[in-house]
Amino acid sequence: MAARSDAVVADSPERVLIIERIFDAPRELVFKCWTEPEHLARWIGPVKGFSSTILACELREGGSYRMRMRGFDGQDHWQQGVFREIVPPERIVRTFCWTDAQGTPTLPETLLTVTFDDLGSRTKLTLHQAVFESVTAGDLHHEGWSSALDNLADYMATM
Amino acid sequence: MVKYVHVSSDLSVTFAALADPTRRAIVARLATGEATVSELAEPFEMSGPAISRHLKVLERARLISRGRHAQWRPCQLKAEPLKAAADWLDTYRRFWEESLDRLDGYLRELQTKEKKHGRKK
Repeated sequence: MAARSDAVVADSPERVLIIERIFDAPRELVFKCWTEPEHLARWIGPVKGFSSTILACELREGGSYRMRMRGFDGQDHWQQGVFREIVPPERIVRTFCWTDAQGTPTLPETLLTVTFDDLGSRTKLTLHQAVFESVTAGDLHHEGWSSALDNLADYMATM
Repeated sequence: MVKYVHVSSDLSVTFAALADPTRRAIVARLATGEATVSELAEPFEMSGPAISRHLKVLERARLISRGRHAQWRPCQLKAEPLKAAADWLDTYRRFWEESLDRLDGYLRELQTKEKKHGRKK
């Protein structure tokens, strides 16, 4: 089993999720599994029994991505986004949003960045998902509020 | 079964309220304790009415509450919606960790097949 020690590295007050994981597979193959619909459908989705259908995966800048996940209960969930950057086999950046059947967002859009590092026969994957896509660190530092945000992180940790 | 996608209108309101950097900064400031409107306005180059508008959005999202006295109405942070927002992030974490577990298994399967069939495909 590949290192499932793959720590969640950060969960900051700006709501950024970072997950790192090492796979026992060469980078090209891991990248392929993230970008080709037939492969994607085989693993994306939270648990076995969820079936995922990739409805669109236009692998180019500005290309759209859309998938449907069907749960055990027969309920459908849609996820969609737009590719912002594709650098085979190193990096994928796309927006990520849950929507209803009509494609209307049900929650704010997030930005997903997946990076693939070549470790020879293995690959290190880093997944970065920012809930507040519009936020840049610059914004916050501008206001001189970074220490206040640290306080917020402490505060949330006590919940 | 566990529901992975919580689509709640309350949560949308919370995120919409928090999607603005000024409002997030206000929330961060209030995490250190209650404050008056003028105290909150201080770090920003913004008029009182502009700050008040932000406070109204936060109040509607039930992220803050305000004292009753007209003259001195300190703002206080309310934990519940923030907690819900944090939980929501947790559903993402679970979504990805379980997906990546499956990817790990799938990659193994692919590579075993490749070995069996040589490099024919």
